[in-house]
Amino acid sequence: MAIDVTTLSTTRRRFLKGTGAALAASAAGGLCLPALAQAQEITIISNLSNVGQRDILHRLAAEYEAKSGAKVTINNMDHEAHKTAIRSYLVVGAPDICFWFSGNRMKAFVNKGLFDDISDLFARENYKGVLGATTSAVTVGDKQYGLPMGGLLWGLFYRKDVFAEHNWTPPKTWTDFLAFGEAAKSAGMVPMSMGTKELWPAGGWFDHMNLRVNGLDKHIALMDGKVQYTDPMLTPVFDKWNDLIKAGFFSPNHSSFGWEQAGAALAQKKAAMMDLGGFVRSAFPEADIPQLAYAPFPEVAPGVARYEDFSVNSVHVPANAKNKQGARDFLAYFYKPENLGAFLAAEGAIPPRNDCPPSKDPLVNAAVEELKKVVGTSQYYDRDTDPDMAQEGMTGLQEFMVKPERRDQILERLEKTRKRIFG
Amino acid sequence: MPRFWRRNRHWMTPALLLLPGLVLFGLVILAASFETVWISLHDWDGIGAKTWVGLANYVELAEDPQFYVSLKNNIIWLLIFMLAPPIGLGFALIVNQKIRGMRILKSLFFVPLVLATVTVGVVFGWVYDPNYGLLQLIYGLFGGTTPALLSDENFATFAVAAAGLWPQIAFCMVLFLAGLNNLDEDLIGAGRVDGARGWRMLRHVVLPQLSQVGFIAIAVTVIGALRSFDMVAVMTTGGPYGSSTVLAYQMYEESIFSYRFGYGAAIATVLFVIMIAFIAWYLRGLLRAERSNA
Amino acid sequence: MYPRPIPEDAKIQRVLYVGGVTLVVALWLLPLIAVMLTSIRSNEELMAGNYWGWPQKFSLVENYTAVFQQTAMLRFFLNSLLITIPSVIGVLILSTLTGFVLSRYPFRGSNLIFALFVGGNFLPAQIMMIPVRDLMVRLGLYDTIYALIVFHIAFQTGFATLFMRNFIAALPGELFQAARAEGASPAQVLRHVVVPLVRPALAALAILTFTFIWNDYFWAIVLTQSDAVKPVTAGLNNLRGEWTSAWNIVSAATIFVALPPVVMFFLMQKHFISGLTMGAVKG
Repeated sequence: MAIDVTTLSTTRRRFLKGTGAALAASAAGGLCLPALAQAQEITIISNLSNVGQRDILHRLAAEYEAKSGAKVTINNMDHEAHKTAIRSYLVVGAPDICFWFSGNRMKAFVNKGLFDDISDLFARENYKGVLGATTSAVTVGDKQYGLPMGGLLWGLFYRKDVFAEHNWTPPKTWTDFLAFGEAAKSAGMVPMSMGTKELWPAGGWFDHMNLRVNGLDKHIALMDGKVQYTDPMLTPVFDKWNDLIKAGFFSPNHSSFGWEQAGAALAQKKAAMMDLGGFVRSAFPEADIPQLAYAPFPEVAPGVARYEDFSVNSVHVPANAKNKQGARDFLAYFYKPENLGAFLAAEGAIPPRNDCPPSKDPLVNAAVEELKKVVGTSQYYDRDTDPDMAQEGMTGLQEFMVKPERRDQILERLEKTRKRIFG
Repeated sequence: MPRFWRRNRHWMTPALLLLPGLVLFGLVILAASFETVWISLHDWDGIGAKTWVGLANYVELAEDPQFYVSLKNNIIWLLIFMLAPPIGLGFALIVNQKIRGMRILKSLFFVPLVLATVTVGVVFGWVYDPNYGLLQLIYGLFGGTTPALLSDENFATFAVAAAGLWPQIAFCMVLFLAGLNNLDEDLIGAGRVDGARGWRMLRHVVLPQLSQVGFIAIAVTVIGALRSFDMVAVMTTGGPYGSSTVLAYQMYEESIFSYRFGYGAAIATVLFVIMIAFIAWYLRGLLRAERSNA
Repeated sequence: MYPRPIPEDAKIQRVLYVGGVTLVVALWLLPLIAVMLTSIRSNEELMAGNYWGWPQKFSLVENYTAVFQQTAMLRFFLNSLLITIPSVIGVLILSTLTGFVLSRYPFRGSNLIFALFVGGNFLPAQIMMIPVRDLMVRLGLYDTIYALIVFHIAFQTGFATLFMRNFIAALPGELFQAARAEGASPAQVLRHVVVPLVRPALAALAILTFTFIWNDYFWAIVLTQSDAVKPVTAGLNNLRGEWTSAWNIVSAATIFVALPPVVMFFLMQKHFISGLTMGAVKG
C-alpha cells in the first residue's frame, strides 16, 4: 500500500480523527502503516515541579492525542537535575520538545546549534502580534528559538493587614524607604526578609538597585561584560546598599537559609517586606494568601525610568529532535490562549500572550497591570549574564551582604572573572 | 589442546577469572578517567569543540584563591571523617551479640547510610537552624543562643562535615561487622586461654586480624571525605560566599553551573592525584605487612 | 566470637544490654526520628519552623498518598529492582573472581592492577559524566536500564574488588596451601574454600552495593531520560520543586525509598555468622 505522505499531511489530522480507532485496531492486528504510525510520536521532557501544571500538561497531551492521533510521551525531571540532564540529552538523545529558560540561558544553546529556529511557527501562528515585546526574550539575531511561557515580575511583597495595622504605605522614594525601615524595626520586624543560601536573592537585590540607579541599558551592558565591575557607576549602588546593611534592613544570618524560610518570616509577620516573584505565595498558608500584595521596588536615583526584572521561562524544540513538525503542531495547540492560560494559572505566572483570558488570581492581574507601566525589562542576574559570571557574581554579592567592608576586594575579584570570561 | 591447558592452567585460570572484571572496569571507568585527564588540558564547555590549552587550567588553579579554600576544607573533612572508622568499629562491637532483638537494632544502626542525601542534608539543616533548630532548643534550655553555624565562615565546614559523618559511620560499621564475623576463632580461643581480655584482647588479637577491613574502612572514608559534594550542595551550596566549598563541589560548580568542564577536570585530576598519593602510601604499608605475615 | 557473647542464661544481663543498645540507637537516630515526624506533619507547620516538636496535626495518610499520586512511584520502584538486583549479582561475581586472583595469585603487575581498581573509584562522577554517556550511546544502551546496569557493575567492581581482595587476603594461608597440596585447581579452591569462608563478606558487600546502586540518582539522569526506565530516586526527586519543596512529602518518600535496603540488611544478617575455624572447611 503506497501512501504519499506529503500530500496527506494537510488532511492527515482529519483522516486520523475518523479512522484512529480503525487504525489502532489494524496496527494491533499486524497491518503495518509505518509512515503514519511512526511519524506522529512526540516526546516531551518537562521540568515542571508544580503538580497542578503537570496535570494540565498531561490533560492537554491527551486531548491532542485524541484530536490528532499522535502519541505524546511526557517525561518529567526535577528542576535541578534537569539543568544537568539537558546538556546531555540535547546532544545525544533529544526529545521533540523541552522546557528551559529564555534569555542568556537559551542563547548558550542557540549558539551551539542545539535549539531549532522556530521563526516559521511564529510566522504561521502570528505570535509576534500577541506577544509584543516578550518576543525579544526568545529572539537571537532576528530569529525565534522558543516560545515564552509564564513570567515572573519581581518586586517587594508585603502583607496588607500588617501595613494597615501600622498605617504604612509602600515606600516610593529612597527617603521613604529608609524611614520605612526604621518604622519596621521599631515595630520589632525585620524590614526586608532575605535568605541568600541559594545566592540568587542577593543577585536580584543588586539588579533592582542597579536598574534604579543606572537604568536598563547600563545594567545590560554590565551583564554583557561591557562594563567593569570596578566602574564608578556602581559606587552609588553599593554605597546605598551598604547603608541598608548597616541599618540592619536584612534578616540576620540570611546566608544560612533559603528564600522559603525568609518567605515564611514574611507570612508570620516577623518581616515587613520581601523582594521576590509571585511564587512567594507558596510560603504562605492558604488562608493568608489574600493578604499578599505587590509594590514596586522604590525609586533610588530620581528621574530614572521604571525598569524591572521580568523573567520568562520558555519551551523549545531541540535541533536534534526527531519529529520537528509534530513538535510544532503540538506547540501550536498547547500555545492556544485558553490552553496556555490554564497551564500558567496553575503556577500563578503571568501569561506572555495578551489574549489569554484574565486570571482569577488578583496577584497575577495586578502584576499584568504593573507590567504595563514598566518601560523596559531585564530577566534576572543569573539569566542575563554568562552562567560562569553569574556564579561568581552572586557569591560575591552574598559576601558583600555579610561583610560589606570587603567590598573592594570582592569587586576586584569579580572584575578579574569578568575579564577572563568576556575578555 | 588438553595438554596445553594442563601445562598452562596454573596461570590461565587466574587470568581468565580476572579478565571479565578487569575488562569491564577498564573499558568504562579507567577509559573515562584517562579522558578526564585529557579534558583537563582543554578549554571546553561540555558541548562544543575542545580547544587545547595545555596546562593553562592548572596554572589558573594554582592562582585561584577558591582552590585553596576548598583544599583547606577538604583537609577538615578528612580529619573529621577519620572519626568514622573507630566509631563504626565501636558500634560493630556493641551490636555483635546474638540476643533477641539485636538484628533489628543492627538494621537500625545501618539506616543513616540508606536515607537519601537530600533529606539527610535538610534534616541536619534543621539541627543547626539558628531559630528553630535542635541545637537552639538545647541551648535554649540553658538560656543561651547558638551561633548560626551554617552562615559562619569559620564553622560552616565543620557543621556540614559532621552531618556527612553520620552515614559514613554506618558504612564503617557494616564493614567491621563483616570483619568481626571473619575472625579466626582459634586465635580468639588461644587468646582467651592466655588470659587476654577486653582492651588487650582487642588490641593484640582482634585488631591485627581486622587490619584488612580497617584498610577498606580507611580507604572508603578517605574517598568519602574527598569525593562528597552533595551534602555541601544541600546544606550550604558552598556558602557563605564559598567558604564551605570542597574540591568536589567546586568541580561540580565549575563544570555544571559555569560550563567549564576543562577547569573542572583539572580540579578532578588534582583531587585524583591527592587520593592516589594517599592510597599508594597506605597500600604500600598494607602490602608490606601482608608479606611479612606470610 | 568477639566480643565474648553474653551467656544465654544471664537473662537480666541480656535484657539490660539490649536496653542500653536501644538507648544508643535512639540517640543515634535522632535525625531519622525527625524525618519520620516530618513525614507525618503538615507543610504549614514546617514553614512555621516546627521541625522538632510533636506534630500538631497528623497528615500521615495525606503525605504518603501524595507520594504515590504526584509521581509514578511504583513503576520507578519496579525499575529500581530491575536495575539493582542484576547489578548486585554482577558485582558480587566479578569482584569475587578479581579479589580471589589478586589476593592469591600474585604476578608481576598484580599490585598495579589492584591499585587501578582502587584508584578508579576516586574520580568524581560529574567529570566522568560525558565520557561514560558517550560510551553508552556508542554501545546503543543510552536510555535503557542496561546502561545503568553496565555502569553500576563496572563502577562498583572497583570498590568491591578492594573489598573482596582484602577479605580473601585475610584468610589464613594454611588453608590455601593445604588445598594446593591436595591438587585442587584454582576454580576448586575458589568454590570449596573461598566462597564458604567469605559469606559474611559477601553479605556485607551485597548490602553495601545494593544501597549505593539503589540510591543513585546522578547516573540515572545522565544515562536515561524516559520515565519508563528511571529508578525510584527519580520519583523522590520529582517531588522537589523549583522554588519550594514540600519536605513533609519528600520525607515520606525518603522513608519509602529507604525500606528495601533496610529490609535487605535485616535479611542478609543471617549470613553474618562467624565461625572461621579450620575444621569447618571440608577438604
